[in-house]
Amino acid sequence: MAAKTKTKSMKALLYFFLVVLAVLCFTPFWLMIVNSTRTGNEIMTSFSLWPGNSLASNWKVVSDNMNLGRGFLNSIFLAVCNTILVSYFSALTAYGLAFYKFRGAKTLFVTLLVFMMVPSQLSLLGFYDLCNKLNMIDSYWPLILPSIASPATVFFLRQYILSVMPRSILEAPRVDGAGELKIFHRIALPIMAPGIATMAIGTFIGSWNNYLIPMMLINTPEKRPLPVMVAELSAVRDITTNLGATYLVVAVSVVPIMISFCFFSKYIISGISAGSVKE
Amino acid sequence: MKKWISVLLSMIMVLSLAACGNSGDSSADSSAESGSNAESGSGESTGDGEKIVVWTLANDLKQFAERYTEETGREVEVVVFDSADYSTKIMQTLGTKSTDVDIFVGEPQMLPNFFEAGFCADLSELEEEVSTQLVDYTYEAGKDEDGVLRAVSYQATPGSVIYRCDLAEEVFGTDDPEEIGKKFSSFDTIVETAAELHDKGYTIFGDTGALRWFSNSTSPWVKDGEIIVDQDRLDYFDAAVELYQKEYVAFAPEWSAAWYASMAGPLPMNAGWDALEDVDASNPETQVFSYVMPSWGALIVRDNAADNKGKFGVCSGVCSFFGGGTFLTVSEYSEHRDAAVDFIRYCTLNDDTAQWWLEASDGDVVSSKAVLESNKDYQNPSFNNQHTYEFYAAELEKVDYSLITGYDDTCKEAFGAAIVSVQEGKQSKEDALKEFYTVVTTQYPELSIPDDAPVK
Repeated sequence: MAAKTKTKSMKALLYFFLVVLAVLCFTPFWLMIVNSTRTGNEIMTSFSLWPGNSLASNWKVVSDNMNLGRGFLNSIFLAVCNTILVSYFSALTAYGLAFYKFRGAKTLFVTLLVFMMVPSQLSLLGFYDLCNKLNMIDSYWPLILPSIASPATVFFLRQYILSVMPRSILEAPRVDGAGELKIFHRIALPIMAPGIATMAIGTFIGSWNNYLIPMMLINTPEKRPLPVMVAELSAVRDITTNLGATYLVVAVSVVPIMISFCFFSKYIISGISAGSVKE
Repeated sequence: MKKWISVLLSMIMVLSLAACGNSGDSSADSSAESGSNAESGSGESTGDGEKIVVWTLANDLKQFAERYTEETGREVEVVVFDSADYSTKIMQTLGTKSTDVDIFVGEPQMLPNFFEAGFCADLSELEEEVSTQLVDYTYEAGKDEDGVLRAVSYQATPGSVIYRCDLAEEVFGTDDPEEIGKKFSSFDTIVETAAELHDKGYTIFGDTGALRWFSNSTSPWVKDGEIIVDQDRLDYFDAAVELYQKEYVAFAPEWSAAWYASMAGPLPMNAGWDALEDVDASNPETQVFSYVMPSWGALIVRDNAADNKGKFGVCSGVCSFFGGGTFLTVSEYSEHRDAAVDFIRYCTLNDDTAQWWLEASDGDVVSSKAVLESNKDYQNPSFNNQHTYEFYAAELEKVDYSLITGYDDTCKEAFGAAIVSVQEGKQSKEDALKEFYTVVTTQYPELSIPDDAPVK
């Protein structure tokens, strides 16, 4: 009896903390949604948990000043391209580094690790010059192509595949005569899928939120992704008049991130618990 | 083996097709560029068909561009950037001599950097018109160190004290701008005025930071390589400390929520940067009497005034000053120079445009002297039916641009920090001034402290 009440009170405590945590996580989102329905003046001068009634006027400011649909398409295009390239090529590289023995494999891996430490902001100046020389300013190529080489993802996937896939699993297809690429596509890739999904979410969100590099490289307003458009929106007039509209766009722009998270999250959860070979 | 070769060949074919497809896509992007380049060759003779690209910080120029296109049929693309990254973007893009931008804007404090980097084309051909038609200080601010005109503004941003007429009537018995102006004519009278307001339960400013606009009243911050702290600056120092320590201000810093709220009605003292709900409600309530701001600040006060709208007036303060403003400049690397200059001429030197903008912007002060003159009888309902353009035109006449130096921002900031440290009792006045000199000379080692400095 005593043990039962103990577990019950423990459970109550647990739920209590979980509820508090959930509220804490949700409040900023809620405030963002609430603020998107209030005028800039109201947001500056007061604080409210209940929605106001300026949604329509905020929407009008948004539609007058920016092409939200175009920004969405641009951002989705960039994010999807980046996610696909990062996922496939990083998995390929990670598989190679993990399972092939060749001269310099270690050196290559260490080099990758070193490049992981360099933040991309640091190389921005050189990157801009490079793009300029290649005549790629104001195009999407420099925003997409570099994602083929993303050291951090390669590192993660290499560690991941080493832990989930024993070398012996490759012996069967080799004996059956499958080519190396086929082994990768048919065996390694599915086993790595949960790891790839985890990285893909990160890449998608990173690309969706990427502001600095597109801001520097894109000059034509129609080609701008959403974050750069939001910055423009908040700049067009005095901050108080556009604050509500800016909140509205930000609120709308998190929707794809939520969708992508819902879509990928079951892979992540199943990926953490499932292994391919039972010991 | 044969099968593999055929696969390989077909792969190559597919890839090369894909590559063609891609280059087809990208040529669509570049064709816009090369198209406009090609047009620029033929366009120079006709002057039509050239598209110019303008990079700016706010929506204003979009409206100018729409009107320009309507009237002339020439296309202008206006791209707005967030001010936080704007300078970086300009430095980055024009640093590589990009021809993507024809006109870009700069605020007065950005201009010297742009001039020095060689981004701004020589606009001497406009010099005669600019010097005669526009307000003097905008002409001075648009010139580089060697006196070559490189930037022109459609705006003028004269400073003013924006005060509550109803409170003025109650406390001083008059709301006449002349009379109220006298109450702000020196730092000593400001302290006296603040004391009078304090007796009635009002505060003179939101925060002592308001006084910083007057820090250039008699001498430049730097003269002949020496940092100048004259008696007037010491008065400013003392006044700021006194207002703070006697609680003659509301402690609602500029741009804080409380500061915005103070325009519409009473607010509790000591709000600081908190949201109003968090302020101790037992703090005594007060009303803020005045704001010191350039002309665009007067519009902010007007737009946030709610029920107080129409109760504000404008008068002059310790000295006349200007703040901010948008200057247009042609990129040195522009391939549409003539079209760009034409657009600048349209925005800045055309009195019809200036008159239109004055009305369309709902109160922006334009740089055209003639238009300011012709609007001087306009009674502004948002400002107690005052003749605001007449007032601002007179203020603009008094702006002394020779007092402006490239060191101003650093000096003002360091001086402000010194004031804050004394206000909060962290340092004595002497130590704070010493630190001020140290901060400025560290940043600019070429500057020296004069022999007659107040502290050594």
